[in-house]
Amino acid sequence: MSLFQRILCAAALTAAAGAPAFAADDGASLFQQNCAACHQPKGEGVPGAFPPLAGNKFVQGDPKGPAYVLTHGRGGMPNFSGDLDDQQMAAILSYVRSAWGNKAASLDAPLVASVRGADALPNDTGANLPFH
Amino acid sequence: MSELSETGGYGFSRRAFLERLSGVGGTALMLAGMSALGFGIESARAQPPALSGGGKGKKVIVLGTGVAGLTAAYELSNAGYQVTMLEARDRFGGRSWTAKRGTKLTEVGGETETCDFDEGYYINPGPWRIPYFHKGYLHYAKKFGVGVELFNNDNDLSPILYEKGSGPLAGKAVKKVEVAADMRGYASELLAKQVRGGALDGEFGPGDKELFLDYLRTEGMLTRSDFKYIGAEGREPTVYPGAGTDPGAGVWSKPYPMGDILKSGTWKVLRSISNLDQQRTMFQPIGGMHELPKGFVRNLKVPIKLQHEVKSITQDDKSITVHYLDTKTGQAGTETADYVMCCIPLSILRTMDLPVSAPFKEAIGGVSYALVGKIGIQMKERFWEDKYRMYGGHLYVDDPLISTISTPSTGWLGQKGVVLGFYPHGAAAARLSAMTLAERKAYALKAGSKIFPEYADMAEGSFSMFWHRAPYNLGGWAEWTEDGRKKYYPTLLEPQGRLILAGEHLSYLTGWQEGGIESAWQQIQKLHAKAQVA
Repeated sequence: MSLFQRILCAAALTAAAGAPAFAADDGASLFQQNCAACHQPKGEGVPGAFPPLAGNKFVQGDPKGPAYVLTHGRGGMPNFSGDLDDQQMAAILSYVRSAWGNKAASLDAPLVASVRGADALPNDTGANLPFH
Repeated sequence: MSELSETGGYGFSRRAFLERLSGVGGTALMLAGMSALGFGIESARAQPPALSGGGKGKKVIVLGTGVAGLTAAYELSNAGYQVTMLEARDRFGGRSWTAKRGTKLTEVGGETETCDFDEGYYINPGPWRIPYFHKGYLHYAKKFGVGVELFNNDNDLSPILYEKGSGPLAGKAVKKVEVAADMRGYASELLAKQVRGGALDGEFGPGDKELFLDYLRTEGMLTRSDFKYIGAEGREPTVYPGAGTDPGAGVWSKPYPMGDILKSGTWKVLRSISNLDQQRTMFQPIGGMHELPKGFVRNLKVPIKLQHEVKSITQDDKSITVHYLDTKTGQAGTETADYVMCCIPLSILRTMDLPVSAPFKEAIGGVSYALVGKIGIQMKERFWEDKYRMYGGHLYVDDPLISTISTPSTGWLGQKGVVLGFYPHGAAAARLSAMTLAERKAYALKAGSKIFPEYADMAEGSFSMFWHRAPYNLGGWAEWTEDGRKKYYPTLLEPQGRLILAGEHLSYLTGWQEGGIESAWQQIQKLHAKAQVA
């Protein structure tokens, strides 16, 4: 997402202030599309491989923590910067922080933008040969 | 090779280079250098290590039957060790695997898929091509009579369809040969203009300027007299030459304007040379990647206990014990030996209770595994050959989730074929793997249809799988970070008492079978050294 698109996105949010720009279930469907293959549909994870998100303290802690992981990647988790915009990430994180018994506050796109920073590079989508 | 790269190429003659090597490193280094320079002299490391003194009947349990485990078991048993292999799956071979009619897989938390290709067709869900310098792989393929055939990793007629660029070529399928001919032609022409105008005179030694211009004319296929790029015969003609006067001599195609190609981004598929492990011509085993494991097993005389899932390992100063669950009978059991050669991926090993130090345990968890997967789609006709004259190689697209589609390098001119419909990595793999089997196939068909309109209509059976969702793998291959290589990698190379690890994860050839084979060669030497002094 270019800076221009991000500004547009932020502008759209401002324009929609007062009414949620996205329905609450957007976070749920985005989670299923992007995250559920590893973290599993109910956030239970796979022991040793993919951490559970349900009941996860880090996920429910300072929202900048999980937002940073989503924008930068960590361990085996890819960086989703090239695939999801700030609003989509905010929707996913808000969903994850309140689903399956989790009880943390939602967060918004500007918070994601604040941790995304210049060093969160999108995955290289150049069409070199696949490795291996 | 570092000496070579530091000079930025052949800064001095090969002979001078070899003499310098033999001066500092003796003959062995010179031989290695000669091999690197293409003289074809093999270094000693192209062979399995000799385990002198033999195993004297000491008992070794090898965990995992991928190529690392099979290599270790084969060499150790040949040296006189008493080897037993344990394998969690109901088949041997690990990731060196071939999906064919009847192959079944249930992904973690996912659906069960049964491959429904016709008899004789297959896809390699894991490794699928062998670089020329993977000497260990080729050593065993030759030894066991596993036939190999060429894998076409680069085809001039590969279509490139980039939608994200701009200009008239955006969203239009062009051929790699067109982009290569035009860009190299234009680049050579521009450079020749500068050189001929004298702008770069300071860069050349005596006589070199003329030679350089000869090079540019040859490289860019420029006109003899005025160094212009006007197209080239080898750039796919619009009418191919033939008999009589029609088609007669054929008709050359016209180059695209340089700006159009630049804006399209299609030049991103071009490189002066291929990467070390992505040569233009590679190998594949005839019949699929499972053939090498089958070759090992034909030549192994050790018990292979399938469906033995390792739960934990314990050891004391006299022996080491593997605690397993026989998933066929539901019975727990143990196997005791002098040593364990553990070739289980770290992504699985980190879930087990192991007799290792705290730093070793931390190191096992210190590497992440690739999110990666594939789909094979059987096509009822080989339309890419019959209609588009494309024999092997890849299609390049810039779909958000798919960047290449690959045609098979086997079954040439036959009736049907299996194309590799996607091979995503990272975030794209996370998203494709979250789809149902039907959605994955539909997505793949939509991407391919943009280049070949008949793609979806030709599709028959398919088989898709993602390694991060595969039981007993939970990831494609180890992806070390620079920090991890420093902090954890050396720890894992050392034995922990009677436990020694091996696998692609303990190599700089991660994700390649060669990494598993060469790691096994190194680690059995460590096991042997311990056994010799015990």
